[in-house]
Amino acid sequence: MRKMIMILVLLLAIDCYSQNKQILYNFTSVPQSLMTNPGADFKYDWYAGVPLLSGISANVGSSGFSAYDLFADNGVDFNIKLRNAVFSTTRKDKVAINEQIEIFNGGFKIAGEESDSYISFGMYQEFDMLSYVPKDIAILALDGNRDYLGKVFNLGDLSAKAEMLSVFHLGFHKNITEKLILGVRGKIYSSIYNANSTNNSGYIYTIPSETGVYEQMIYSQLQLNTSGIAPYDDEDYEPNVTKDITKRALLGGNLGLGFDAGFTYYPKKNIQLTASVIDVGFIKHSKEVESLTFKGTYKYEGVVPNFSSGNSAGGGYQEFKDAIPLDTLYADYTTWRPAKFNTSVQYSFDEERPEDCNCLNYDPETTYKSAVGAQLFVMSTPRTPLVAFTTYYRRKIFKALQMKATYTLDSYSYKNIGLGLSSHFGPVNFYVLADNLLEYSDVTKANSLSFQLGLNVIFKNSKK
Amino acid sequence: MKTLGLNRVISLSLLLLLSFSCASDLDYDQVNDIKLEPVFIANLAYFDIPANEFVTGGVEQNVIFDAPTVDVFNDSFFRKSLKKVDFFLEMENTIARAYVVDLVFLDRNNQVVHTTNFTVPEYTGLENKVTRTEIFENTQLDLLKRTVRIAFTLRMLPGAPLTETSSGNLKLRSGVTAYLVVE
Repeated sequence: MRKMIMILVLLLAIDCYSQNKQILYNFTSVPQSLMTNPGADFKYDWYAGVPLLSGISANVGSSGFSAYDLFADNGVDFNIKLRNAVFSTTRKDKVAINEQIEIFNGGFKIAGEESDSYISFGMYQEFDMLSYVPKDIAILALDGNRDYLGKVFNLGDLSAKAEMLSVFHLGFHKNITEKLILGVRGKIYSSIYNANSTNNSGYIYTIPSETGVYEQMIYSQLQLNTSGIAPYDDEDYEPNVTKDITKRALLGGNLGLGFDAGFTYYPKKNIQLTASVIDVGFIKHSKEVESLTFKGTYKYEGVVPNFSSGNSAGGGYQEFKDAIPLDTLYADYTTWRPAKFNTSVQYSFDEERPEDCNCLNYDPETTYKSAVGAQLFVMSTPRTPLVAFTTYYRRKIFKALQMKATYTLDSYSYKNIGLGLSSHFGPVNFYVLADNLLEYSDVTKANSLSFQLGLNVIFKNSKK
Repeated sequence: MKTLGLNRVISLSLLLLLSFSCASDLDYDQVNDIKLEPVFIANLAYFDIPANEFVTGGVEQNVIFDAPTVDVFNDSFFRKSLKKVDFFLEMENTIARAYVVDLVFLDRNNQVVHTTNFTVPEYTGLENKVTRTEIFENTQLDLLKRTVRIAFTLRMLPGAPLTETSSGNLKLRSGVTAYLVVE
């Protein structure tokens, strides 16, 4: 039981960065694949997700260290583990969590004269957290500056953001021609809270000097923007968190707009190309905003008596607070959603000839039992975009069971094997997707894990 | 019946996945054991007085004085974390007169908490430095933490008279090494 809770906690709490849904992408037996490509080749008369259960996904990643590295109950002093973890990371390492739960989701077909159009809609809640390892600041805290004479500590290492939001979406896709499907999806974001500190810069250094013993300089351009958090700072405020979250989730938060777009194209019957952009959008934060800044330049010289005027400098600490003041601002700000780009190429084989084929009314659309393909995923981050490359094999095991196996290379791991299963029992679709399967031998040592599952009801008219 | 079979396949594979998975014991309470021991270096005090500052209108000033404030110990976090302090002081004299330099650390009631003094001989063309290292721990450190001002007194000892054009400087460089323990 403990193990299960541990796994769940890890999956749901650490669901780190990637947001790469490499198993779900283009796995068109699952309706949620539309969320990764609004132009996915998914046909239905109508479908509905079971509310709250149709799409649960969590993603946790830490490229520099694992939970085991820090918290293993192995008798090693925590401070030693902490030092090892910090010194084994670089400023590029990150910890990321992403979690999504679909509140509701559904879709229906609009029959057209030439081709059918498909509408899909829904609402989901999302939590996103991304933090780079603030390595230089961690070194200063662990070691101080004595052993780092001449080193320039980079305050820009501090880069983190967290957001909880709800998303309302409406999508549309259509077969433009036999070979081409185009889709778009509009989104309204309602931010429940946001905190971000990603445009930081500055430095601290200490170098030997002929004037004093050292030349010491701090240049700081640090800023933390928050929205939806400020009221909880107020002692007089009696928080009703549930009420606040519900209100903000239902368009009462800071609002934003965005879109997804994508296509599926068949240059040949057994070759498929797809691509999509997801979450190209922004949120304008104007309600309950509060920003903290820590900006300025300070050169510390120590106590300097002034014998001639008697008007001496020396209030180093006060001088510092005046030079680099902690200010609170209440200005609106805008954040961009992490935009995601997916693309894939797929080759299908193993043509399927249904035994119960009604050959008089034969569906000209050939279906294939197997496919291999490759996918590329790119996501914008405050620094270098995140890139993942996936190869996969997809197979229809039975009529009602589809499987997709993936192998993914990214900055977290070079041995990420994932597996997805999607079953259809009558109209009921159940899917479960998990990656980093090799890490399940000890999940605490995993650098990243992701998990998605859900339950849908899909009605498809088998006749075209 | 077939769907039942499929159901079983999926349940089984889920079960397999979860039962093969395993988690080492983690102990998050270890966070409470955190103990940071950074060591910081910084300037302590500095001055550089040219010889002519000891002469005003052709008359020698034998004593000059200033007592600037020191407010680093105002910060309670710093005061609490500071466990040991080393001072490094270096007086260098290139003026052809000897000096006695007193540094007196005073608390808010003008009580002396620490004194350091140097006697620096006159400059004769050779390197003329006096250095000193002082270490503060425990009660001595507690006393030092009460400092709010440092009184600098520079006394010029008798010798060949200085003029407005006399050369040389009396220079203090000093640094501090602060050992913190944050728990």
